[in-house]
Amino acid sequence: MGGATRNEKKRRQEAAERRLAAAGIKPGKTKAAKDRVPMIMVAVVVVIAVLVGGGIWLSQLGASTGAVTTKAASASGPVVTVGDGPVVIDVYEDFLCPQCERFEQRYGAQLTTALDKGQITVRYHAIAILDNLTSPAGYSTRAANAALCSVPAGIFPAFHKKLFDNQPSERSAGLTDDQLIAFGTELKAPADFATCVRGGTHSASVKTETDAAAGTPALTTNGTFGTPTVAVKGAKIDLNDTNWLTTAIGG
Amino acid sequence: MLDVIGTVARLGLAAIWLVSGILKAVDPDQTYVAVRAYDVLPRDAVGVVAAMLPWVEIAFGVLMLVGIGVRVVAVLSALLFLLFIAGVAQAWARGLSIDCGCFGGGGTVEPGQTTYVQELLRDIGFVLLAAWLIVRPRTLLALDARLVNTGRTG
Repeated sequence: MGGATRNEKKRRQEAAERRLAAAGIKPGKTKAAKDRVPMIMVAVVVVIAVLVGGGIWLSQLGASTGAVTTKAASASGPVVTVGDGPVVIDVYEDFLCPQCERFEQRYGAQLTTALDKGQITVRYHAIAILDNLTSPAGYSTRAANAALCSVPAGIFPAFHKKLFDNQPSERSAGLTDDQLIAFGTELKAPADFATCVRGGTHSASVKTETDAAAGTPALTTNGTFGTPTVAVKGAKIDLNDTNWLTTAIGG
Repeated sequence: MLDVIGTVARLGLAAIWLVSGILKAVDPDQTYVAVRAYDVLPRDAVGVVAAMLPWVEIAFGVLMLVGIGVRVVAVLSALLFLLFIAGVAQAWARGLSIDCGCFGGGGTVEPGQTTYVQELLRDIGFVLLAAWLIVRPRTLLALDARLVNTGRTG
């Protein structure tokens, strides 16, 4: 449609409106008022989307108070057992794995509550499958070792949380031993914690545990072992089911 | 004829938003990891963006599909695409190796496996679709035609 035709059309329309006005007939709504309708509908739909997203965000946030469990932790080789509840949950995490950080952020508070209520026992398995994703390589093993060092230091739950709260990115340098030791010191670890971190006291058992987990068919999906892997009573559970913990406690 | 081109652009954007939004919405944990991999936002903000983004994309998709407020939604779409382009560009410039997570997936990848050029070209293509609708929002089979007084009768 050319500009001339358009102007002609506009002129005719204005003339028609003038005739209507002269005859005392008002158009039902002004053009401006009608133009607002789609804008309002767009706003409504976008607001609904934001509310849905916000609701999901709030539901994921949980009752995150930043507190960690008051239950004691004990280590048996590379496995740290926390709590004394009847439902045993095995958690396999690599401290560099982003999905593990996500898991802790999403379910950490729920696990703490269930631990404190004496409903569950959590066995944290020290896993290092992402050693070659830092340069220099080996952050996963160093972090897992430090977490095992934190058990006799009496700070495991808080140290474990701190490692995920401060998780370095994949393909970064990772945290240095000095940084790992500083976290322990902040949490009032005794002096031999530093020796344990620097000495890699538990590195060999982290490797053993990683190989053992990867070689356990019940912990793999399509033959692949990944982190986080969570097993309830020995059976791997599907973390897409966001009610897995409630189900585990109830069942 | 121009209306047909506009309609293709509109339905194309609708499909893009619906597919990318739904793929992100069904795997919220992966979406979180994808947003975090850009390494721009603080951890708490990552959670907010990852929760909201899929639903905003689906909203844009629905509005484009039915053709409500085509010009406004095209402007919003273009702004969001430009934001994505900025995100991918900064990741590339900083030497991060990530997947954009544009249509699900995302997170870090092997240094040799980034596809920044393709991702940026694709997003620029999407901006062009939106630009057409900003300039000329009239399309076929759009609810806008019923809502807005175009001065036509019938």
